[in-house]
Amino acid sequence: MTRQSKRSSVSRRKFLLASGGLGVAGLAGCTQQNTGGDSTAEPTSGGDESGSDGTDSGSQALSGDIAIAGSSTVFPLATAMSQRFQETHSDVNVSLQSTGSGGGFANYFCTGQTDFNNASRPIQPEEEDQCSGNDVEPVELKVATDALTVIVNNDNDWIGEGLTVEELKQIWSADSSPETWADINSEWPDEPFELYGPSDASGTYDYFHEAILGEETSHRQDYSPTEQDRTIIQGVTGSKYAMGYLGFAYYSENQDSVQAVSVKDGEGDYVEPSLETALSGDYTPLSRPLFTYPKVSALQEAHIEAFTRFWIENATSREIVAEEVGYVPLSEDEQQAMLTRIDDAVDGSN
Amino acid sequence: MATETEHGEIEGFGQVSRTVGTVFRYLLIAATMFGIVTLAVLLVYVANDAIRPLTAGPGWYLTYFFTLVVPTLLVGAYVRTRDRAAFSFGVFLIGLLVVSLMFSGGVGLLVVDVVPPLVALSFALGLAVPAAVAVVLTRNSHRISFTTRLVATSLAFYLSLFGLPGPIGDAAGLPQVVPSFVQFVQSIPVIPVDWMMVAAVVGGGSAAAVGAYVAGVRDARSGLYAGLAAFAVSVASAVVGPFVGLNPVPAVVVTAVALVPTSTYAWRGAFGEDGTPIGLGFAATVVGGALVGAAAVEAFGFAGPQSWVDWQFLTSSHSGSAVDAGLYPAIGGSILLMSTVAALSFPLGVGAAVYLEEYAPDNALTRFVDVNISNLAGVPSVVYGLLGLGVFVTYLGQSAGTVLVGGATLALLILPIVIISSREAIRSVPSDLRQASYGMGATRWQTVRNVVLPEAFPGILTGTILALGRAIGETAPLIMIGAPNVVFSLPTALNSKVSAMPLQVYAWSSLFASEDFYTKAVPAGVVVLLAVLLAMNSVAIVLRNKFERTG
Repeated sequence: MTRQSKRSSVSRRKFLLASGGLGVAGLAGCTQQNTGGDSTAEPTSGGDESGSDGTDSGSQALSGDIAIAGSSTVFPLATAMSQRFQETHSDVNVSLQSTGSGGGFANYFCTGQTDFNNASRPIQPEEEDQCSGNDVEPVELKVATDALTVIVNNDNDWIGEGLTVEELKQIWSADSSPETWADINSEWPDEPFELYGPSDASGTYDYFHEAILGEETSHRQDYSPTEQDRTIIQGVTGSKYAMGYLGFAYYSENQDSVQAVSVKDGEGDYVEPSLETALSGDYTPLSRPLFTYPKVSALQEAHIEAFTRFWIENATSREIVAEEVGYVPLSEDEQQAMLTRIDDAVDGSN
Repeated sequence: MATETEHGEIEGFGQVSRTVGTVFRYLLIAATMFGIVTLAVLLVYVANDAIRPLTAGPGWYLTYFFTLVVPTLLVGAYVRTRDRAAFSFGVFLIGLLVVSLMFSGGVGLLVVDVVPPLVALSFALGLAVPAAVAVVLTRNSHRISFTTRLVATSLAFYLSLFGLPGPIGDAAGLPQVVPSFVQFVQSIPVIPVDWMMVAAVVGGGSAAAVGAYVAGVRDARSGLYAGLAAFAVSVASAVVGPFVGLNPVPAVVVTAVALVPTSTYAWRGAFGEDGTPIGLGFAATVVGGALVGAAAVEAFGFAGPQSWVDWQFLTSSHSGSAVDAGLYPAIGGSILLMSTVAALSFPLGVGAAVYLEEYAPDNALTRFVDVNISNLAGVPSVVYGLLGLGVFVTYLGQSAGTVLVGGATLALLILPIVIISSREAIRSVPSDLRQASYGMGATRWQTVRNVVLPEAFPGILTGTILALGRAIGETAPLIMIGAPNVVFSLPTALNSKVSAMPLQVYAWSSLFASEDFYTKAVPAGVVVLLAVLLAMNSVAIVLRNKFERTG
């Protein structure tokens, strides 16, 4: 018994020595330089720069958060751009929210919560007042052109070539607010309208209101307002006597489910909504510019400036803007103008 | 009253007939089945869209039929006739493996993409050192007064986590004089490689749990050895991992979180006292059959179902096209939200429950609180969303849609449920136990700590997990607090924007109008969400069953 325990203690000491030696050697081989990257503590001078990994050599990696809210019309475009930006800058965390142009300005952007607000109409004076009240200075950047599209059910065979602006105005105006199709044109069916559209937080609503109804006439409120463009498509698909309007991108993804209405402005021809007619300027009055509004203070941060430039540099891309999302890309001239505007904004408050 | 008349009628009951009873019985069955069947149809429909089982070839099905289904049925039937307990042990073991693998996925996501290993290590050390101090102080509790111990323990935690003068000094504008232990660890110039730090934190935690478990089953010495062995296995897996196609860090996490606990349980159930090795045989048949099937399918080149729920879906972020879209940021967001919710609602809820059950006098105020907690449990979630928006975002000025705001709002939402279920659990502790404890001269605090809480703990945990299961599916409060519709990477701090699984599914179904998202990404997201939910609920159910058996 004693002999056994003696022998085992010797072997245990040997074992400890051997394993200890191996362990130390192993540990020495398994260390790395502490680059002190994103610890919670204050940035600690990053150790020595000759670190072994070399991950942060070359251009300085961008990192940080970018918060974007605003128009549901611009949302698919902003998503496409952020997705591409994220592929090359994985440390930049972009978050996107679809709130409607007005909702985004009032509740998020002008209160300083977000860095960008997308809008499908220019910023309004009262919104600028609210922003400046909170020391938020917006920069207007045009990012694309949209053909705001009026849609009806596929079984709708009575409107013929299309609708005139005057007819659209009658249908959507609060003053006339016709009950049935026959109220507009006696040859049309005597069936009640089912109207779907964006809610009044939406820039699409504002633009349609201004372009079709004008300042004096108010938009009728007895329709089904929604911020979800899918709901508009579903509503119009579901009823023969339905009508709705939304951004072209959402229509272009659902061309089989609904039909787009050609629009006649004044004495012109009926023009169908498409990227070509929006670009050529024939599709009046419903082709409209789309914007994003970064705030000047956010542009001082490197990752936000980089993202803004990335967006505008790709805003002329047919592949992203037209084919993937469904809007008209910027022209080269417009792109240059926007880039200058970014330069001014970045330098201006330095 | 009920006297028989000549016509075979009983006064007050009318005509005696069996038909009425039979009809009533079948109506009840119909009522029972209606909801279940409707839901089942819906789930099958969604799962069919997401997993698309019909796209797999017959070869794939045949292979799995012979490697997995047939052996499982044969061995299962044999084991079940021989020993029912062994069979249920085997089934439980498989369930444990599946759930712990899912759990290890979550932990892996945290250590790979959210918390850098060094930060995790520094905080683990920063908590372990003062905890050790506290344990030593408690051991000597007969010599040191409670107040001294309390002050010393708090001081140790404060120094270790914040340094001197820390946040209090920040508030007073004093500069940091002594760095905290956490900062000190983070500033060491030469540190171990990532997998070693992960092994130290995750493997260490799992080894401690295994050690404690074995020590409870056997004795302290076996516990120590088991813990050391578990730790060694976790470390070894990092070396072995690369040979089977796993990076060291995931290999360590999977081993430490899933394999080590499962095998500990398997060892105990199979070879411990009154163990049943044939149950282990059944579990091995199922797992082995699945692995062999996978290898065979790979070797013969049979195509499996072209499921939308695949590795790519689980690990990539949102994309403009439905086929490339993934749920990764939302999964991570949900995990972080749930951690925050658990950290906030568990102590608050259990504390309130203990007070109300053990301390509160039976007066009007208590009854008023009682009624209000029950009512709060029924308040619609959108109202809690408004509350979160109003209190945290508008009033306290937090930025909208962050992990902290989302977690705090959801914690408020489930707090009443946690309180109610914890009270239920505490109430079900037999009062004989309390009386016995008092009879031995224990104080109320000693009784609560040593008798009531240990006895009620499984029930409390069950209730909390079920409540978390409700929180993980909530969408409305997150929309209200302005959580973003799309994010591309995981949140790395409490104040970064977060998405969650139900929110991502909602965004796909509403904001992306194309039919593609509706038929591909949405069902896949729903299936993942349900899988996580079922895993959580199964943990709760297992806990409850164990609790009922022993208690």
